[in-house]
Amino acid sequence: MSATREAVLTKKPIPWGMIGSYVILVFFAVLYAGPLLMLVNTALKTMPMFMKDATGLATEFHVQNFVDAWNKASFPKYLLNTVLYTVSATAIYILTAIFVAFPIARGYVKYSGALLTLFVIALFLPPALIPQFQLILGLGLYNNPIGYIMLFIVNPIGIVILVNYIKTVPKELDEAAALDGCGYFRFVLEIVTPLIKPAIATVVVLHAIGIWNEIIAPTIYLTNKDYYPITRGLIVFQGVYGSNWPTLAAAVLMLTFPMLILFLFLQRYIISGLTAGSVKG
Amino acid sequence: MTTYHFGRGRARWVPYLLLLPGIFFYVLIALGPSMATAVYSFTDATGLKGAPVHWVGLDNYKEFLFMGQASKDNFAALERTLVFCFFVTTIQFGLGLFIAVLINQNLKGRNIFRTLYFMPVILGAVIQGLIWSLFLFPIGGPMARVLEFFGTRSEFLGGQPSEAFAWVIAIQIWANMGTTMIIFLSGLQTIPTELYEAVRIDGANSWQVFQNVTWPLLTPSVNTNLTLNIIGSLQAWQLFLVLLGYRNGTQVLGYLIYATGFGQTSGSVTSSFRQGYAAAASIILFLLVLVIGMAVQTILRRREVRIMG
Amino acid sequence: MFKKIYFVMTMLMLASVILAACTTTASPTASSPTASSNTTTDQKAAAANVTLRVLIHQNPPMVAFMEAFNQSFHKKYPNITIDMSVVNASDLSTVTQTRLTANDVDVVDMFGFANAAQSYMKKVDAPNWQQLIDAGLLMDLTGQPFVQKYDAAAVKDAGTYNGKVYEINLGRVSYSGIYYNKDMFTANNVKVPTVWSELVAACQTFKAANISCMTAGGKDGWPIFVGAYGLLGSIYPDQAALVQGLWTGTIKWNDAKSLSMWERMQVYTSEMMESGASGIAGDAAPGRFASGAVAMFPGGTWYAPAIDAAQPAFKWGYIPFPGSDNAEDNKYLFGKYDQGWAVAAGTPNKDAALLYLTEFSDSANYQAFVDAVGFIPTQSTATLNTTIGKEVAPYLVNFRVGYEQYWIAPKGAGQFANPWASYFKPFGTDDDPKTLADKVQADLQSGLDAVK
Repeated sequence: MSATREAVLTKKPIPWGMIGSYVILVFFAVLYAGPLLMLVNTALKTMPMFMKDATGLATEFHVQNFVDAWNKASFPKYLLNTVLYTVSATAIYILTAIFVAFPIARGYVKYSGALLTLFVIALFLPPALIPQFQLILGLGLYNNPIGYIMLFIVNPIGIVILVNYIKTVPKELDEAAALDGCGYFRFVLEIVTPLIKPAIATVVVLHAIGIWNEIIAPTIYLTNKDYYPITRGLIVFQGVYGSNWPTLAAAVLMLTFPMLILFLFLQRYIISGLTAGSVKG
Repeated sequence: MTTYHFGRGRARWVPYLLLLPGIFFYVLIALGPSMATAVYSFTDATGLKGAPVHWVGLDNYKEFLFMGQASKDNFAALERTLVFCFFVTTIQFGLGLFIAVLINQNLKGRNIFRTLYFMPVILGAVIQGLIWSLFLFPIGGPMARVLEFFGTRSEFLGGQPSEAFAWVIAIQIWANMGTTMIIFLSGLQTIPTELYEAVRIDGANSWQVFQNVTWPLLTPSVNTNLTLNIIGSLQAWQLFLVLLGYRNGTQVLGYLIYATGFGQTSGSVTSSFRQGYAAAASIILFLLVLVIGMAVQTILRRREVRIMG
Repeated sequence: MFKKIYFVMTMLMLASVILAACTTTASPTASSPTASSNTTTDQKAAAANVTLRVLIHQNPPMVAFMEAFNQSFHKKYPNITIDMSVVNASDLSTVTQTRLTANDVDVVDMFGFANAAQSYMKKVDAPNWQQLIDAGLLMDLTGQPFVQKYDAAAVKDAGTYNGKVYEINLGRVSYSGIYYNKDMFTANNVKVPTVWSELVAACQTFKAANISCMTAGGKDGWPIFVGAYGLLGSIYPDQAALVQGLWTGTIKWNDAKSLSMWERMQVYTSEMMESGASGIAGDAAPGRFASGAVAMFPGGTWYAPAIDAAQPAFKWGYIPFPGSDNAEDNKYLFGKYDQGWAVAAGTPNKDAALLYLTEFSDSANYQAFVDAVGFIPTQSTATLNTTIGKEVAPYLVNFRVGYEQYWIAPKGAGQFANPWASYFKPFGTDDDPKTLADKVQADLQSGLDAVK
């Protein structure tokens, strides 16, 4: 796949740079894996074991936590809701965001500079919990999945990422495509979108994770149990004066899994450019 | 405005039409409520239906900025916010870039490294808080054992406010470096491999390659990341909540606003609803972020024009 | 490949159009704020099917009890279905606010009324429960038969405002006592302390035997200073008078009496607390105590179930904090009114809601509730059956509402304007009682001056 690169490297006597890179990456890997393993370790403990010695190594594989988490938090049902919210909100968001970001990056609409500033300012906007609640309530979308999804179809961060990325796509492409008779809508969807896949993948991952892990919004906006996302269901393991951390940790591990898969899947797009480049080279 | 190639007359309206939904949602869901927050900040609103709302002018702002020792404490929190922003932004930016460049090489197992560094982002703040509380458990926790090996000990998150604060900085960087890395990685994909090979053949060393090719061509990602890191760290509050709670000498503005909005400043379960006051505090944070953010934006755009034309 | 993406994108576009359409069709309701979700519930006949929406805060033993209670309630009144939602205690106030505003709840769990503004306090805001009542969101329960079941004092202190009853409070908790390890006390020949000098001596004995004296969940901050509220209480047994004195200037945090309190608090944080306590999370502390690592654990009565859960066979006792040299001053337990029930004023299910509270207040049901959660009961007929109940029983005549339930800080007061032991090292930055006392008083004075 990238034989050229390896060939270049094998010419050198000792790849010190390579070794150095590995040393650094492994060092940070330990910094990352260490705390993360605490979560796995906690998930394998029984509650009394955890109360006695929170940080000691789990001595046996205690699967019961995973079973409990699955059953008590109504995992299958709530997980489906979470998937529904995450997929629909992310899809609507990404689609609208591309059509906002592209003309702004290109200057195809009037005041695109001002519009971009507006979105950058949106990054700074203060949290507006109560006004937002009153808006959703006023629209009659309180305790309604549509209202909940609506909360997540705006994310200025993604716009900024997309605009900055689209700037790296050569402008000559537009002219060429237009000369070939390609319309605006088709051009953006069929030509620009594949070219900015790394940025789209990044935005999708970040946006989806945000919805997936949201805790406060479902507590406030969704009071019907049929609409609960899984994060709302996890509350059964929490307490005022003592949470059931082992079961919670097990639940979190299961909850994280789909997002991990999404990331593993999408990171191919994030690095796809590299592969393409080296094949060409 | 650049020349538009995709037709004239009615066709000229297509980009506007397609832009509309995004702008509409943005105004409805983000901008509108935030403007309402600005209006709230001049009232004694409680956020309750049926409760009278009175116009109180600048009282909320006066209370936050000038009233007694509490306002001095607020300024201390503001100062702390800036310190937090400075350390988090510089370290997270530098480290994210460094790691992205390393990972962008053709290394075995880079998928594993990349996934591992990104894991905290997937987990979210509550779980980040839990695992670090366990990792930094002062009695027999993993980090305590490491320190014990070197003949020392620490209170970590429960220690002196300055030490606890330093830990939050470290954990914030740990938690969000993955995002910075991913944005840089996606930026690195836009740099053609041929360019690297060309300079390499000219005999450039790794640093020169970075200086002359990677760094200038990464400008869009640099802008994105700097903006996100600065804003993210100025508004940060979640890790302060899950790692430290309400503790003197550690609060930043973002956390103070959360605590006021949710009535958790005193730990008392009967705290008043003070949405007006909380709104004023969040507008003050907004102005701070706006000033810093816009200044940085201006610098970044000038630089972008200089480099990318 | 492109075609696939094209297809997916088209579908998404459709979805967004549908959503946009939904939004616009729904917006006309915005102009008529009275139209809310209660059209779904039947308002006419009580015999008709009713769904009663109940909101409670997360507290595992209570949730378990409520689930069982709801089931038996539904069995008795098949036409009433209970839809109970559970939120974290820290979100209860916000969710109560949003759900009452949306008229989306019938029965709410609400902490006992406290922190009412007193005549000597200036420019203080009304507490949240009072704001709810003033906004007309809570139902007047005065004269309801089930209210008579509760102690008149509890009804008056924790649920009455302007002469009307808005909440029935379900029980009290104490936060000022100390748990002690009975076996460890016997093994080391230590007598249960009743005065400050005995407590100091006990700690020295344990230290000599290489046992840490106390633990608490220092990482959460508040368990350290709440753990010393008993010390505060034994210095100032009349806490309402203390609060008044602080507001009016007759008591100062740096006067001689207060200074002795600060000195003892320093002994408490620096000598009695085990090293490392500042990193222990609040919910890990009961387990740490139950593991036998320490001799004592200053903490609220609510920890008892967690201690038992961690080590069922463990023998422990509970005593008031012996903070004074005078044993007479050390006989009080300080605490607060915990959970209670209130009804939404706008409920379309008034009859069902009142029936629910009547059923809950039934002596047998209430007894089962108190046994499950370990509260000190507010129905005089109820008995203390739990271990913690038996431990606190001797002190019950001396139960007093604590400082935290009276105190409202003047606006402008600094962050140090509290009697908190956690200001001392290793939890805070201070190590000199006199300097700290002056700083605390200055921070308070700054607020008192600002609201003059």
